[in-house]
Amino acid sequence: MSLKGIGTPADQARLARRKRIGQIYRIVTGIPVVLAVLLIATLVFDVTTDTVSWHVVEPDNEGVNLSFQEGFRWFGTWEHVVTQELEARGEDPAATLGDAEERRKFGLRNRVELLWSLNGQPMRWVVSNSRDDRVASYGWFEGNRMHDELLAGLEGGEQLRLNPWLDAAFFTKNASRTPLMAGLINALVGTVWVILLVILISVPIGVGSAVYLEEYAPNNWMTRFIEVNIRNLAGVPSIVYGILGLYAFVRLMNIGPVVLSASMTLALLILPVVVIASREAIKAVPPSLRQASYGLGATRWQTTSRVVLPNAVSGIVTGVILAVARAIGETAPLLMVGAAAFIPRIPDGPFATYTVIPIQIYSWVGENDPEFANVASAGIVVLLVILVALYAVAFYLRRRFERSW
Amino acid sequence: MASQAVPKDHVTVRTDPIPAGEAVVTLENLSLWYGDFQALHDVSLTVPKNQVTALIGASGCGKSTLLRCVNRMNDLVPSVRVEGQLSYEGVNLYDGAVDPVEVRRRVGMVFQKPNPFPKSVYENVAFGPRLHGYAGDMDALVEKSLKGAALWDEVQDKLKQSGLGLSGGQQQRLCIARAMATDPDVILMDEPTSALDPIATDRIEELIHEIKKDYTVIIVTHNMQQAGRVSDRTAFMHLGVLIEEGPTEQIFTNPQHEMTERYISGRFG
Ligand SMILES: Nc1ncnc2c1ncn2[C@@H]1O[C@H](COP(=O)(O)OP(=O)(O)O)[C@@H](O)[C@H]1O
Ligand SMILES: [Mg+2]
Repeated sequence: MSLKGIGTPADQARLARRKRIGQIYRIVTGIPVVLAVLLIATLVFDVTTDTVSWHVVEPDNEGVNLSFQEGFRWFGTWEHVVTQELEARGEDPAATLGDAEERRKFGLRNRVELLWSLNGQPMRWVVSNSRDDRVASYGWFEGNRMHDELLAGLEGGEQLRLNPWLDAAFFTKNASRTPLMAGLINALVGTVWVILLVILISVPIGVGSAVYLEEYAPNNWMTRFIEVNIRNLAGVPSIVYGILGLYAFVRLMNIGPVVLSASMTLALLILPVVVIASREAIKAVPPSLRQASYGLGATRWQTTSRVVLPNAVSGIVTGVILAVARAIGETAPLLMVGAAAFIPRIPDGPFATYTVIPIQIYSWVGENDPEFANVASAGIVVLLVILVALYAVAFYLRRRFERSW
Repeated sequence: MASQAVPKDHVTVRTDPIPAGEAVVTLENLSLWYGDFQALHDVSLTVPKNQVTALIGASGCGKSTLLRCVNRMNDLVPSVRVEGQLSYEGVNLYDGAVDPVEVRRRVGMVFQKPNPFPKSVYENVAFGPRLHGYAGDMDALVEKSLKGAALWDEVQDKLKQSGLGLSGGQQQRLCIARAMATDPDVILMDEPTSALDPIATDRIEELIHEIKKDYTVIIVTHNMQQAGRVSDRTAFMHLGVLIEEGPTEQIFTNPQHEMTERYISGRFG
């Protein structure tokens, strides 16, 4: 064929047309990507801005700290109790708490902290206003818009401050009825315990099953039947696993509504994903490497442990981490197996009662006080950061193992 | 053409048969099936010690299958069935009491495509000895094996680097060193140079020449010149039947069977 006729006007027209069509395809396929990015950006923006609000505060560093003796019994309102106690000590309640008007304000603004002794009984009450007293609260956007107005309206020693809900104290406080007192510690520790056990349970079983199915199982109808079912199990709604967990672990095995039941339920939930991901990773190990190993006189197990698994490990780790990320976000099955909305103590082992971050967020969202929306947002940000960190770990491990192997 | 029928009762044409005393590996009426498909038909062949035996024949005639019988690699294919005898220094390898893993230790194998492990050069060579719990001086063994494969000079400074970083020819010699490290008596090579350039091929051929004083080599090759250059004896196969075998000179200059002659002269295959 000769090159005559190339670059003619007809050719150029055809080329221009093809470029136009290409452009259209590029736009059409690009739109979903742009939409997805916008959506994620909006979500992150919305949630993070909700973790900050403007507070009008009245700095008050004196505070009132009252400790009650052991054997003290609660009755009436806290104001009544404090008044009684001060009177019993021979102090003047009005001097400490102010007049009736101020007392009302004090009642609105101050926090009552409940400290627990080890057996869960209240040992002493601390009434404190050591934190700055909050007079009013505005959302981030609202506060920004009304900034000048709010500044102008400040009385006495009042100040306008930006309050970060996601501060260090958020990680040291437990859940509370008062938004400013609410923290994530118990749910965070609960999540760590649950996930730790999920990994300990699901990785050996899942990777073991994958190795068996890929390297050992005979290729017969039984194996194929199991394979198909594993794929189907991966699509079962998580609430169903919750019911199974409730029945099998909490009741039948009588483990109770504790961390271990939750871990076993979630392990069951992610097992199919772990098995499938591990099998894919094992399948991707070149057969020539297995041949080389067998050819040198390796047994099947030696080949599996020294050649196949080390080469599959980056894929397995990635699959496990993606599955664990799913487990961390699960709420429904844990509601079934007894995660509590509030637990008084930090979970300290497999048999502790527990709650987890998504359930804590869920219960905050259901609270009346609008400021719990801010607390919930802070919790969501923590959850997102954990997930992103997990993905980063997956990425790092992948790179690492790929390099050395 | 390649599917030209061979009488099933074909009697292998043999020139200068090897006396039983010089044999390392002896196949007697070996037949092999993949499921229902018979890939080897009553193959009988004697492989002499410290010589290079080449298997030639058209693609799909069963050369690799025959080679893999010698170290029982075919056992890894689930549907395989073997009949007949294959003895190695007088022991029938297909006897029920024989452990295929032990067989593969003593009969090393080099594959068509270089397949070093994605590990360091050193670890590649040490892989086999480690498997078998080698207790001696590993550094010395690695050095000896790499020298045996004529690779030491090129990699002595790169022992800690990945075997995958070597050139194709070096990788294949690494695989040969790896096979040597388990101290086998026989080394099987399945078209070891088909993925290599001519210079790398030359070096492997030279190497085969050198190692035959210590090892018995069986090599499958597609390349007739290569068979002529490296082998002492040649066996020609067609559709699972061993047509003719004898000294390489004889096969190439004066083939006895008409099919061998046509294959050698390039008229089919
Ligand atoms: N694993 C296997 N399963 C089924 N058939 C096979 C298998 N390996 C080889 N064969 C068949 O056996 C015959 C011989 O193959 P092979 O030994 O690889 O030939 P060659 O190495 O001479 O090209 C071919 O027809 C091939 O299709
Ligand atoms: Mg072949």
